[in-house]
Amino acid sequence: MLNVLRRQRGGDVQAIAKTPWWETHLRFFFIAPSMVLLAVLAVFPAIMSWRMAFSRVTFKLGELEIEPIGFTNFTKAFSDNLIIGSTVRTAVWVLVVVSAEIVVGLFIAFLMSKLHSRARMVFTAALIIPLVLPPVSVGAGWLVMMDVNFGVLNYLLSLVGIEPQLWLADDRTALPSIMLIDIWQSSMFVFILMYAGILSLPQDPYEAAAIDGASPWQIFKDVTIPLLRPTFVVVLLLRTLDAARIADRMLAMTRGGPGSSTETVTLSIYKYAFIHFNFGYASALSVMFQVVLIILATFYIRRILRT
Amino acid sequence: MVGERSAPLVLSRHVLMLGVVLIVLAPVYWMLMIGLKTEAEFSEIPPTIWPQEFTLEWFEAVLGKRGFGEQIMNSIIIAAIATSIAITVGSLAAYGLSRFQLPWGLNYHILFFILTVRMFPQTVTVVPLFIFFTQIGLIDTHIGMGLVHSMLELPLAVWMMLGFFRDIPRDLEEAAMVDGDHWLGAFRKVIIPLVRPGLAATSILILIASWNEFLFALILTRTEAQTLPIAVANQITQFDILYGRMMAASAISIVPVLIFTLLVQRNLIRGLTLGGVSGA
Repeated sequence: MLNVLRRQRGGDVQAIAKTPWWETHLRFFFIAPSMVLLAVLAVFPAIMSWRMAFSRVTFKLGELEIEPIGFTNFTKAFSDNLIIGSTVRTAVWVLVVVSAEIVVGLFIAFLMSKLHSRARMVFTAALIIPLVLPPVSVGAGWLVMMDVNFGVLNYLLSLVGIEPQLWLADDRTALPSIMLIDIWQSSMFVFILMYAGILSLPQDPYEAAAIDGASPWQIFKDVTIPLLRPTFVVVLLLRTLDAARIADRMLAMTRGGPGSSTETVTLSIYKYAFIHFNFGYASALSVMFQVVLIILATFYIRRILRT
Repeated sequence: MVGERSAPLVLSRHVLMLGVVLIVLAPVYWMLMIGLKTEAEFSEIPPTIWPQEFTLEWFEAVLGKRGFGEQIMNSIIIAAIATSIAITVGSLAAYGLSRFQLPWGLNYHILFFILTVRMFPQTVTVVPLFIFFTQIGLIDTHIGMGLVHSMLELPLAVWMMLGFFRDIPRDLEEAAMVDGDHWLGAFRKVIIPLVRPGLAATSILILIASWNEFLFALILTRTEAQTLPIAVANQITQFDILYGRMMAASAISIVPVLIFTLLVQRNLIRGLTLGGVSGA
């Protein structure tokens, strides 16, 4: 490998001639296993999904039949009220959850940056705990806390004189209830990212602003916020894409119900594929969803590159 | 910033943060306590903050004969397979990308491609995988599930290890090689010890992510390789929910994650900022 390193720095040619072929191409062997793993388990399946999207697919007793039917699956989606409903619901979910998480995460991050260093370490350690817990187990816990009769949340509400809520059992409060859980868990992700961003802010602009006699609010608005913009866009990108693909919380807690009040796009696709076994239609929905996510991601990534 | 302001202001900030931390951790505390309460006690109003009478009956039920011992074992095996594959394959790629320049700007394209895969909708990959795995007999097996989890966490492994490898100066390994070591020797003696903390933190993040993962496990396993989150979820959707049993199972899935998280604190934060364990 030394030879390879040398050659890259314009080293001697003789050494290269003596090196076995596999060692001169070593750099490709490092990358190859990853590429194979991703190709077999992600890219190949994705291509398969695109093919199935244009087909009627039957899969019985291990026998797979794929019969091309053109755009039928796609046109069907645009008059499918269930999918239109979950699309709108998912959009609302992303909007509410991501904005709330940014407000909460940003608040905690700023507050944290103003504490003593010892306190920061302890508090940060405590705050990442919700983030790493299994969403399903967390869901089970909240289910008990949201119990209509003896849940602790209704008890706490009764202390301040608010009447008991049905939480997950009512189609109007079910989605907001799961939103609450998501905000509780994922705000900590936003916090960690924003906190890292705040800690790595350059000091010079602040000194300049202090010399100019700027007020704390002006410093925040004209120095901190513009400097944090790149971090901000990264947070938005990661959280938007993860929030848009949400399904595990609903699958574990409500299976999309009551009615279809907590059914998201991923959950609908899951149901079409594995409850109705309509692989063709499910694939068409998947690839359309993929296109939407790619457009969203490119939009954000362009912004990252611009800043 | 601290010290410029008056003492009461600084103190009030610390108190405010303490309040935030307590609110954030309260649900976790509550979840762990419910599993230790008797059936009579957790339907009591007002609820007891500290259990009056501790019981291990739920934990015994969960770990006992008709409990979730098998699912816990499955989760451990699958997480171990996923972690060893993802960390080996991912570190190799990260090392290669940090040390060599590939032609045609491939370094950049490969890293970008790896990120793109992480943003695929789960259903785009899981539906065809279900078909393939059924056809070649990998459905409901530890190795099949482990492979899928390693694919899901590979982007995290590559990006995180890339950071750690980039931190190591190149001169260090070149010096070792000039001293007569083969590159493999230099890799083993110089590089590996230096990235050990990074390897540990990355492995633990992958371990946690595999342990937590739900959607793929739900579709690609049935009985033989069923993981713990699926067992917990099955408790929830039963008509007659046994809360104590469900919460004991949840607690068992939560505690190892808590321990691992506290073990590798600082390096973990670095991984979490890369997109960590949220989402598959």
